[in-house]
Amino acid sequence: MGQTDPAPQQRLVEYVVDRVLDETNTDTKILVLARQDGHLDSFPIWIGSAEGHAIKLALDTTLTPRPMSHDLVKSFMEHLNVTVRRVVIGDVKNSTYYATVYLENNGVERTVDARPSDAISLALRTRAPLYVSEDVLARRNTANLESWLAKQDVKSSTKQPEVQDSCVIRCEGARKDDVDLFTETS
Amino acid sequence: MHLKGLMFDPYNNAYIVVLRDEDGHEMLPIWVGKAEAGAISMALENVAPPRPMTHDFMKSILDAYDAKVISVVITDLNENTYFAKIHLMYQDSEYTVDARPSDAIALALRSNAPVFAKESVLNKQSSEELEQWLENLKPEDFGKLDS
Repeated sequence: MGQTDPAPQQRLVEYVVDRVLDETNTDTKILVLARQDGHLDSFPIWIGSAEGHAIKLALDTTLTPRPMSHDLVKSFMEHLNVTVRRVVIGDVKNSTYYATVYLENNGVERTVDARPSDAISLALRTRAPLYVSEDVLARRNTANLESWLAKQDVKSSTKQPEVQDSCVIRCEGARKDDVDLFTETS
Repeated sequence: MHLKGLMFDPYNNAYIVVLRDEDGHEMLPIWVGKAEAGAISMALENVAPPRPMTHDFMKSILDAYDAKVISVVITDLNENTYFAKIHLMYQDSEYTVDARPSDAIALALRSNAPVFAKESVLNKQSSEELEQWLENLKPEDFGKLDS
């Protein structure tokens, strides 16, 4: 993992999209990434609800009557013969994650700066791999998030229909300062 | 067509993008969702968000390979299904890409590309409907975009 990256100083860990959770009392969703190799290490990113919706559509491979924004991006790339090689969440500043989309066309590589949600929405639609840099993994502050998600996991594994409810309760119970919210827009 | 405005439709809980032709005779209302309206209003007001929004990202990808948006054409409006075509120029070839009008307009505004509507669309979607709707509108209904 990461050996193919042209920037060897950036060690990468491969992740997959696990799920998108609703945070019903705010207009946000939580995108949860999981390690591709099965190691238990969830990586949550707070995103907007429209962005979460775009990811959910791709996760569930929902067919929409008209192309959604990221389907349009994919369509552009098909017309121009551009492929997504990989998506890397490579930086975090002021609790905001930064993603880079690596593109290729006839051997010409280009990188485009993006919000993780846009990058991941596109990666899911183009089946491109997703990586988080070890630097970002080391710098995130997850002490509170891990326990927050652990409780989610316990509840969701015992009874499926309660997931939404438990999420609401947890969100309401947690003050904003309790959980260091790592977002993509700050 | 010029983008005349964007307003909130409290009855349908949606937004309306109003396009008007050059000499102001024809109006074309297009109903869009909240996220789509946000993407258009940011470009209209020249707001530079701290991070690239979806259509900025879209444009960055086109820019990365020197692909240009030449024009956008609203080709059909049918009940809840709206159609547009984005005309791209890339390496001396022209490409036509199917899109929703909201995405097409959001991208056209960011690319300074002209927006056209097929005459058949204008004839079909008579602006009477909009005029009636506008008459029922109260002043308070304007300027709700930030909500």
